[in-house]
Amino acid sequence: MLVYTVRRVLGTIPILILASVLTFVLIDVSGDPLTQLRMQQPPPDPSVIELQEERLYLDRSMPERYWLWVTGIGGHGDIGLLQGEFGPSTQSNSYDIGAQLAERLGVTLRLVGAAMLLALGLAILAGVVSAMRQYSKIDYTLTFIGFLALSMPVFWFGGIMQHAGVSFNDLVGEQVFATIGDGLYQAQGEDLWGRITNALAYMTLPTIVLMLTSFASWSRYQRTAMLEVLNSDYVRLAKAKGLPNRVVVRRHALRTALIPLTTVVAVGIAGVIDGTVLTEQVFQWRGLGEFFVNAIETNDSYALMAWLLLSGVTVILANLVADLLYGVLDPRIRYE
Amino acid sequence: MTTTEHMSNEETSSPGTGDVVLEVRDLSVTFPSDDGPLPAVREVSYVLRRGEALGIVGESGSGKSVTSMAIMGLLPKNARVEGSAKVLGQEVVGLDDAEISKVRGNRIAMIFQDPLTSLNPVYTVGYQIAEAVLAHHKVGKKAAMARALELLELVDIPNPAQRLKQYPHELSGGMRQRVVIAIAMANEPDVIIADEPTTALDVTVQAQVLEALESARKETGAALVLITHDLGVVAGHVDRVGVMYGGRLVETGPVEEVFYRPRMPYALGLLGSLPRLDEDRNERLTPILGTPPSLLTLPGGCAFAPRCPMARDLCHEQEPSLLATAENGERVRVPVEDTGAHTAACHFSEELEGAQPTDLFRGTAVGAETTDTGGTADTGGTAESVAESEERAEQAERALARADGSGDTADGSGREAILTVRDLVKHFPIRSKGLLKRRIGEVQAVSGISLDLYEHETLALVGESGCGKSTTARLMLQLIRQTSGEVEYRGQPLHSMSQRQLRPLRRDLQLVFQDPFASLDPRMTVSDIVAEPLRIHGRRNGEAKKRVRELLELVGLNVEHGSRYPHEFSGGQRQRIGVARALALNPKVLILDEPVSALDVSIQAGVINLLEDLQDDLGLSYLFVSHDLSVVKHIADRVAVMYLGKIVETGTTEELFRAPAHPYTQALISAIPLPDPVKERTRERIVVTGDVPSPADPPSGCRFRTRCPKFADELSESERVKCVEEPPELVDRGTGHPDACHYSRAVELI
Repeated sequence: MLVYTVRRVLGTIPILILASVLTFVLIDVSGDPLTQLRMQQPPPDPSVIELQEERLYLDRSMPERYWLWVTGIGGHGDIGLLQGEFGPSTQSNSYDIGAQLAERLGVTLRLVGAAMLLALGLAILAGVVSAMRQYSKIDYTLTFIGFLALSMPVFWFGGIMQHAGVSFNDLVGEQVFATIGDGLYQAQGEDLWGRITNALAYMTLPTIVLMLTSFASWSRYQRTAMLEVLNSDYVRLAKAKGLPNRVVVRRHALRTALIPLTTVVAVGIAGVIDGTVLTEQVFQWRGLGEFFVNAIETNDSYALMAWLLLSGVTVILANLVADLLYGVLDPRIRYE
Repeated sequence: MTTTEHMSNEETSSPGTGDVVLEVRDLSVTFPSDDGPLPAVREVSYVLRRGEALGIVGESGSGKSVTSMAIMGLLPKNARVEGSAKVLGQEVVGLDDAEISKVRGNRIAMIFQDPLTSLNPVYTVGYQIAEAVLAHHKVGKKAAMARALELLELVDIPNPAQRLKQYPHELSGGMRQRVVIAIAMANEPDVIIADEPTTALDVTVQAQVLEALESARKETGAALVLITHDLGVVAGHVDRVGVMYGGRLVETGPVEEVFYRPRMPYALGLLGSLPRLDEDRNERLTPILGTPPSLLTLPGGCAFAPRCPMARDLCHEQEPSLLATAENGERVRVPVEDTGAHTAACHFSEELEGAQPTDLFRGTAVGAETTDTGGTADTGGTAESVAESEERAEQAERALARADGSGDTADGSGREAILTVRDLVKHFPIRSKGLLKRRIGEVQAVSGISLDLYEHETLALVGESGCGKSTTARLMLQLIRQTSGEVEYRGQPLHSMSQRQLRPLRRDLQLVFQDPFASLDPRMTVSDIVAEPLRIHGRRNGEAKKRVRELLELVGLNVEHGSRYPHEFSGGQRQRIGVARALALNPKVLILDEPVSALDVSIQAGVINLLEDLQDDLGLSYLFVSHDLSVVKHIADRVAVMYLGKIVETGTTEELFRAPAHPYTQALISAIPLPDPVKERTRERIVVTGDVPSPADPPSGCRFRTRCPKFADELSESERVKCVEEPPELVDRGTGHPDACHYSRAVELI
């Protein structure tokens, strides 16, 4: 198992390097950060542009800039991933990409974590129930909900939820659901109970919106995996041993049916990150989604790179975790 | 066996239940289907006494598995089960999950067909056995594990302590089936139901596993219900037999009675359709015509009547009950408890007294129509003897012709070798996982074999799974390319030709696949399937159509069948379609890769006969790849036995079966169960142990030495050195045919 772990961890290093190259090149060729400045009327003084070019390292060649972006050697101390610096921003001289990223990561993680846990739990539950009652009313209902959820665009469903939240508040005459903002400011200074109610108020709607697509697709996967296992010979043998049905389902069926889901969830993280961009826009959270949108709007290439790299690393790490989990869950992989 | 007793004594066997451990009465199972209710099992009744072994035989769809699943309560919820099944007097039909869990695995256990899928891949072997113990006994985990170890020893698993901690994928198929047996034995059940326990295993492993089952049963005193399609397995391992057909028991009785004096035409037909290892028969097999009934549209009377040569009006009108024949020839009802009785569900079972399969199933049309009640033996006999003597004369002529041919080919001259293989080698690389895909080894599938296939002969390539026989067949067709060696067809070097150059030659070399269900495109009509090779090779439409009609007739199908789709046909008919497709281009050589092993016995015989007829009519050469020595003995002129990529023995069929010289050939022949209770129980056997080693790392010297009984028991230390160091050549060592054993000695086994 140790060898397996080490091998898998080492295996991610070339992928990380490749991800950084791709991230850099993609953003670097996709536009000039100084477009706005150059287009200004009346045209700004060439020295101003030159100064900006130097500040953003645009006076150097692309390979040089990549090297600089990774190592920071030869820079002004505001660049170099290995030194924990993400580069200068176009948004303002004082805009610290790293600090912004860290702050917003906290906000987004709250949303992503809650949504993923909820989606996973509900998906497993729905998948198992659906499989065990195949072709029953509840199976058909869950299937219908699943496909409905899959086919609803996040921004549209987000809007609907927001509207529903407002209507609900009006109905009960009290602010039950917060429909705007992440609520972190409001939570300051509250006691534990206050924080919890605050979190529930602010997080419920966006979490539901964000988890919906993942829940829908994962529950379908879980249903299929579970059905396959329930019809397998070893489940039949487990029953023939005299194990009661619930033990058979939990120990033999569910345990094995979870294995394929780990991969699906790991790959699904990319989808959840996509989802946060839209969800945060709709609910006006100051998270990574907003950071990303701001960066695009201001042609802030280093901020974009930081965001892309972070998503890339997240996906790679999620896959690494899935790989390791696979090894734990399935002995056939472990002993290869 | 009163109600009060089994109410108060639910789990323990009470003396009041007598020695009956399983009592099934009028058990019926119906599945709902889109086309109406499907009666899979109809009114099956039998009793099983303590320690007794009952065999249930039948072809696929006869209801034999469904019956036992119903007893175990393992059928899907939508199945409707009626009637009664009592385990130690306790009714088990209709129990809820909690109640039946107490019986299952405790008083009655089950062994399933496929050991590769019966064990959960994510738990260790030990855990899965211990689980069975813990399900019924309040003991600690340690104690359960200790019991698991004991059980592994009981089923003869080497290094049991180590195996306990291993996962199923680390064990071979035979070992896994032993684990499943160990699980079944865990709580010393009174009844074990084994559903085709060895069908998925190789013959030499089958023998080992059956032995393990037998000894474990002896230890625990469990009674056995052995469900199988293999009459040989039944003959050797059970006391009584029940034959199922169309969801019913159609014949029951002591095993000798049923095998030597069958009272139901179906049982007689089954025995006649088997190619036999133990009989010198170059005669044709006697297939049962037609196909097993569709359960949705069962005929009104006897389910077998449409296929029965004896059938009369009564048979089509009234379904016969399962009755015994009394001394005076009258059919009488006997109680199910009378386990010594021989019963049959046939209105005319007394007419089968002393009948041979050939009396009934050959020249059927004439025999059945002209005979009146009672006169079967006489008229049938004379009619038969004429037909038979004609047939014999023909056979003799044919045999003579073959003998002539082989007479001058003994030294290789005379008849021409049509397909020749020299020093053929095929290694498949094993690559590492990850990006680099380094080559970390190779599977030596075929390791230097040479073969000659002569014109108008059948050469059989025999061996167990993984021996390289199918790879050899594919190499001969150049569907895959060899690592080294030569393949020549009529002197043309196929091995060095390009695909384009090969194409015109492919017309002459055609392939028939094993699985008639997977090898036909379900979306094409039969005509299109058969015509496809013609189109590929550029025949015009009208011409192709005519040819398809010819071909369908040739393989015994109706011309109207051409417009139908494969799923409308039975397995045997599909295989005929596959043969028709292979024949479309008038090939000279057919490579038959296990062509009958997916078929039921009664169907198999018909396909074998067809292949023999086609060979005679069209002058084909067959390379017949098979694991089934009985079929091979029936159909082949010469045999080559393969083991781990090498040919270990080759010779004419007659020589090889009369005096096998290589220990592996001897073991293979010994391991084939004979469908004859007395012979099967008294025959001399040469038994091999263990499993086939990995072809990625074959043993040095003689590849068979790790499993060789001669190496293990007969040879001295100094003699063994030669086996370890020197790979034996394939040469004649004075037995009349070549073998690859340093110390070969011909032995008579049959």
